[in-house]
Amino acid sequence: MNGEAVDLAARLDDREVIICAGSGGVGKTTISAALGIAIVASHAKRVLVLTVDPARRLATALGLESMGIEPVTVPKARLKRALGAAPKGELVAAMLDMKSTWDRLVERLAPDRQAAERIFRNPFYQGMSDAFAGSHEYMAMEALHELHTAHEYDVLIIDTPPSRNALDFLEAPTRLSDFVGARLLSWLAGPTRVGFRAMGFAAQPFMRMADRLLGSDMLEDLSVFVRDLQGLYGGVQRQAREVYRLLRAPGTAFVVVTTLEPAPFAEAEFFCSKLHEFSMPLRALVVNRVLPEHLRDTGAVAAATAMVENGKAAAVISEELGQKVGAEAVRHIGDAFLLLSRLAERDSRQVGRLGGLGRVPVARLPLIDHDISDLEGLSLMAAGLRGQGPE
Amino acid sequence: VAGKGGTGKSTIAGALALIASRAGKRVLCIDIDAKGDLAGTLGSPPVGFQPKVVQPNVSVLALQPEESLQEYLHIYFKVPRFARLTPLARVFDFIATGVPGAREMLVIGKIAFEEKRRDRDGSPAWDLIVVDAAATGHVLPQLRAARAMLELVRGGIIRSQVEWIDAILSDPRRTLLTICALPEEMPVVEALELHDRARRETRISVGACFLNRVIPVALTPKQRRVLELLGDPVHAEALGRRIGGDVLGVVEGARLAQRLHDNGLQHAKRLRAGMSAPVLEVPLQVETRPGLATTRAVAAALREAAG
Repeated sequence: MNGEAVDLAARLDDREVIICAGSGGVGKTTISAALGIAIVASHAKRVLVLTVDPARRLATALGLESMGIEPVTVPKARLKRALGAAPKGELVAAMLDMKSTWDRLVERLAPDRQAAERIFRNPFYQGMSDAFAGSHEYMAMEALHELHTAHEYDVLIIDTPPSRNALDFLEAPTRLSDFVGARLLSWLAGPTRVGFRAMGFAAQPFMRMADRLLGSDMLEDLSVFVRDLQGLYGGVQRQAREVYRLLRAPGTAFVVVTTLEPAPFAEAEFFCSKLHEFSMPLRALVVNRVLPEHLRDTGAVAAATAMVENGKAAAVISEELGQKVGAEAVRHIGDAFLLLSRLAERDSRQVGRLGGLGRVPVARLPLIDHDISDLEGLSLMAAGLRGQGPE
Repeated sequence: VAGKGGTGKSTIAGALALIASRAGKRVLCIDIDAKGDLAGTLGSPPVGFQPKVVQPNVSVLALQPEESLQEYLHIYFKVPRFARLTPLARVFDFIATGVPGAREMLVIGKIAFEEKRRDRDGSPAWDLIVVDAAATGHVLPQLRAARAMLELVRGGIIRSQVEWIDAILSDPRRTLLTICALPEEMPVVEALELHDRARRETRISVGACFLNRVIPVALTPKQRRVLELLGDPVHAEALGRRIGGDVLGVVEGARLAQRLHDNGLQHAKRLRAGMSAPVLEVPLQVETRPGLATTRAVAAALREAAG
């Protein structure tokens, strides 16, 4: 793979917020953790890596196996062993907890304690985070904002939740504020059941129909819930504005992670164009799981093709090795090479399109043929992000 | 057809539709994910809420809860379609957005409605309905919605409707959940979690699991020994001259393929161990983009895997 190595850690270490985005399955979580290691390796910063849904091995590597929500400091001695040198900074890892983030949001924004309690008790609230599409995205934003305001860390790294379309993440703040603020809410929140009757002629048939459809108990519950939610509206709107300000702040960097596979790459292209449209700062690209260049070597492709297609190859190989080698074995070995070779060929066609994603530094990380399960593996990736990785 | 995003749900769903239609069945494909492209996997531009024939015996529709709601109100309350701006529509709009389970119910309800659709002669309109489900996080709420609704709604005509929807979902002769996975850690974890939770929290049966993008290069132990012998530089160089090309390069690439295959194998083993339904393997396709050609190849592979 050509192109000079870039030190992403050096380009991003002065940021306060780093958001790793990209479609699911491209290795965002692993890369956020590796980026955290890359920064603390060379900078005296306190870095928090906030992950949404880590793989078990990764969680174990970071010391998060208890799966609690309390942030865990990665022991310096362990990091030193993995890096081969003492880290200058401190790395803390934490997992995002949806339910408690929702609860804290309601507590903070509700006009009073009683209103908050009523919301918690309402049957509709129980399933609320399930019902509100994009709530994962919103909660990630909410947690980010909360942590940023608390100023406990120099750098916050967050991987966006694995959503089909990373865009949900950008639109999450308005989605919640639209949801809580829908004009309809005021319509429904206004009257109690007595009020419905007083609402006049126009509304009555609708309420009768709602009654028939849902039964009156549910309508009552709903009306109370809606009224309580409305008390949150002002706060939610303010919050959404602040989150957007944070996402556009000069201290914020978006890092888009992708592989060269067609589908994730197309998503990355789309996401980069949206960041541009929303004036949100794309600062770097990470291309993960790049297949080794030697797979496209013409000499190797020629030999593999001969092994698959040349009927005499097996005989020649048997003679050279001094033992009988079946034609099938020879064909299988050639096929194994050619499969990866075709994948590498396909991927290389995307490389030319990288420039179209934005004029930002690009880090390429090689495909690793095993799962990352310890700090040593993460440190190797971190070295890759600092431009020091082996090809 | 459910599973983690990026596991190839749409292509698998499309392939199932092709297989069934070839067996002479009338198939309806329903795309639940607003951003999904099920129609694309069947060689068609995006479709809307009305079923569109995209292949012989295969129709596709993209399900939007809003349109589903309008259809529902139209059928049961004679509310004219496109009556979005009336206060009534807005109330229901809110309910659909805000009430836990309501949006999910509109999705599941529409599917159940299509299942019950009859032609003029009283025969079912569709022999098979293939649903390309939303990402894992949204699927369980959808599958649970009918049950949850039965707890929330204590009266009203919705209750009786939810009861028949629940009956369709709970009957393994009518409804099966299939789960897509990849031979990688997180997709397997999510597939098993979906499987376990579906069995614990819903009454829907898991019918099959599709293990997609398996690297199809399992070398036998004997073949691996040949690979090692070929890796000897002296042999490799001599052979390179005789058959033409760089044999060491081939060995290096084949070893990588083998390691990738072996790494996938351990995840596949975990998947098989935890899955109560059969696991069907679909080999990796070197496709450029999802599309009809890829879907056809996957359909062929599925037919082979299922025997």
